[in-house]
Amino acid sequence: MGDVLFLAWRYLIYHRLKTAILVASIMLIIYLPVGLNVVVEQSAEHLTARAAATPLLVGAKGSPLELALNSLYFSSEHPELIDYSEATMVADSGLADAIPLYVRFRSRTHPIVGTSLDYFSFHDLSFATGRPMALLGECVVGANVADSLGVKPGDAVISSPESVFNLAGVYPLKMKVSGVLTRAFTPDDDAIFVDVKTAWIIEGLGHGHQDLARAEAAAGVLSRSEENIVANASVVQYNEITEDNVGSFHFHGDLADYPLTAVLVVPRNEKSGVILRGRYADDDATSQIVRPVTVIDELLDTILTIQQFIVAAVIIVGLATIATAALVFMLSLRLRRREIDTMLKIGGSRMRVASMLLAEVVIVVILSSSLAAVLTLVTWRFGPGIIESFVLT
Amino acid sequence: MKLLAMLACVVLVAACTQDKQVSEDTEASPYPPRVYTVNYPLAYFAERIAGDSVQVVFPAPPDVDPAVWSPVAETIADYQQADLVLLNGAGYAGWLQRATLSRSRLVDTSAALADRLIPMNDTVTHSHGPGGDHSHQGMAFTSWLDMEYAAGQARAVFDSLVRLRPENELDYRARLQELEKDLSKLDTRLTVVAERIGDQPLVFSHPVFQYLARAYELNGRSVHWEPHEAPGDDPWRELFELLGTHDAGWMIWEDEPLPDTVSRLEGMGIESLVFRPCGNRPAEGNFLSVMLDNVMALERAFPAPASIEATEM
Repeated sequence: MGDVLFLAWRYLIYHRLKTAILVASIMLIIYLPVGLNVVVEQSAEHLTARAAATPLLVGAKGSPLELALNSLYFSSEHPELIDYSEATMVADSGLADAIPLYVRFRSRTHPIVGTSLDYFSFHDLSFATGRPMALLGECVVGANVADSLGVKPGDAVISSPESVFNLAGVYPLKMKVSGVLTRAFTPDDDAIFVDVKTAWIIEGLGHGHQDLARAEAAAGVLSRSEENIVANASVVQYNEITEDNVGSFHFHGDLADYPLTAVLVVPRNEKSGVILRGRYADDDATSQIVRPVTVIDELLDTILTIQQFIVAAVIIVGLATIATAALVFMLSLRLRRREIDTMLKIGGSRMRVASMLLAEVVIVVILSSSLAAVLTLVTWRFGPGIIESFVLT
Repeated sequence: MKLLAMLACVVLVAACTQDKQVSEDTEASPYPPRVYTVNYPLAYFAERIAGDSVQVVFPAPPDVDPAVWSPVAETIADYQQADLVLLNGAGYAGWLQRATLSRSRLVDTSAALADRLIPMNDTVTHSHGPGGDHSHQGMAFTSWLDMEYAAGQARAVFDSLVRLRPENELDYRARLQELEKDLSKLDTRLTVVAERIGDQPLVFSHPVFQYLARAYELNGRSVHWEPHEAPGDDPWRELFELLGTHDAGWMIWEDEPLPDTVSRLEGMGIESLVFRPCGNRPAEGNFLSVMLDNVMALERAFPAPASIEATEM
């Protein structure tokens, strides 16, 4: 047997280019569907990890997917809005902690997430430098934001106007960076975090201006009574919150009516979660409660269906490749007619010659399979890091 | 062949090496929990109830009124690190509206007493445009001057401390009872002296005595005078107009007024006495001793008839 393998091996080595092409082709055919499966599984696991870590989300009735994508991945489309009173209701129920989310505005391409301090502890986010936001107008940036904008604590970022053509709408607010988060390899790396009240100021629901009771602000007064001063449109509102003017910032109306995009709900225990979900089961409820992991799993089922089509296509291509390889081998046999005749004439039996030819095929297949296995192992081992470095950053 | 085998071995070894993520054991902090407050009375209550089992911190500088104090961001960052933050409620400490604090660590000691809050009717709000929402009307916030209300706040402090250190509940309850007794004695003495004052008109130098006036049925009206500033012509004019319908014989100050102001008031037949709200930590003594001084000042100003002796604590 050893002589057959020796001859087969020496033949393959002599025709190394042809051997290499054959090995590479068959290796790719084996590796592509397997490696793709590994990558998709690991990506899905990574995506669902964030959803699985988020117990419940409360949002306006509508698309659960839109709610989950906006709240977990800060997608650009924001769902219908709910009132801040929803967060208060959840917190006051004693069944869960409520973390408000207002994800609507952006600074260039980076989402601005209006939330509370509890968001950082909930997602185990730590600070590379600086501290959490303490005052209105301060913000915390993710690691990617700090890298791309080149900011550090003490620098500033400016919110982007919602529409260039809406001069009376949201105007830019200059926010002071108080801290930079440690890289988490999640969408948090690309986000700018502010207190939800700062997000309301960006929207114009809160503002700061001169004290209208002072004489120097007379030009901004439309009318005055004992109880109330009505300001006119000439009152200049501050677009930067500083230590000097922070005391002037205030809100009008009832904060309970102010908007949120979602409430991140952390039940005290499983029973509390079930009770809470039951409270939103009423058809007349204006808001909904969703389990993000359920929503993302449904999304991934759709993606995996697409993956199956891709794998099927790869298999078809693979069959074509195998057919081509078989054709190459058969043509090679024809070209080696004289060589085979020589082996027969010098005493080689037909069985031994056939064994040698078969050994060449087996060696190629074994080599290809081994290389495919190694590549798959490497993908499995280093795939999460590659996904985090190149896909998520 | 050998090279290929070696490469396969290296890759296999690398693949089998698992990065072990060592979770750090978080050791229990050797320091007691930190309790931050927004004013001194709450700090006093927390210190009386919890003793050394917690570290009570009230970081406002001694020379500022905590009601209008604006801490810097670094101080707010310290509040963020506290295990518990005791709030007075009633809109006290306006800086809270501009600060980011974890809701789960905040305790509003007036939450259960919300129906007893006093709106400030003379607050001037503003709105933008004729149809705009108004800014918020204020609430009177020196609630601890009503000793019964103060006892309610002390009970809220007790509840929050028990949630923080449940193993100390019995000890805290005993201390709360002692504090309630002290507040009750103050309440009794204030009630007695208030009965002697009756319907006599009083003037309060500043609108910080609403809860005192309501609790002890004092017939008082407020002006906006600062004890360490000489009133200008307009404030004196306002006082004259007030006295036309409210002929007060006493002005109650939140701190020692200027001698010139006192003299001029005496010339008008108005005596002065000091009743310190004690919103900040006093230079000497504590909340109880300051309130006792306040009560004694009232008792001296409105002495009992000779046949009745004031009870000493």
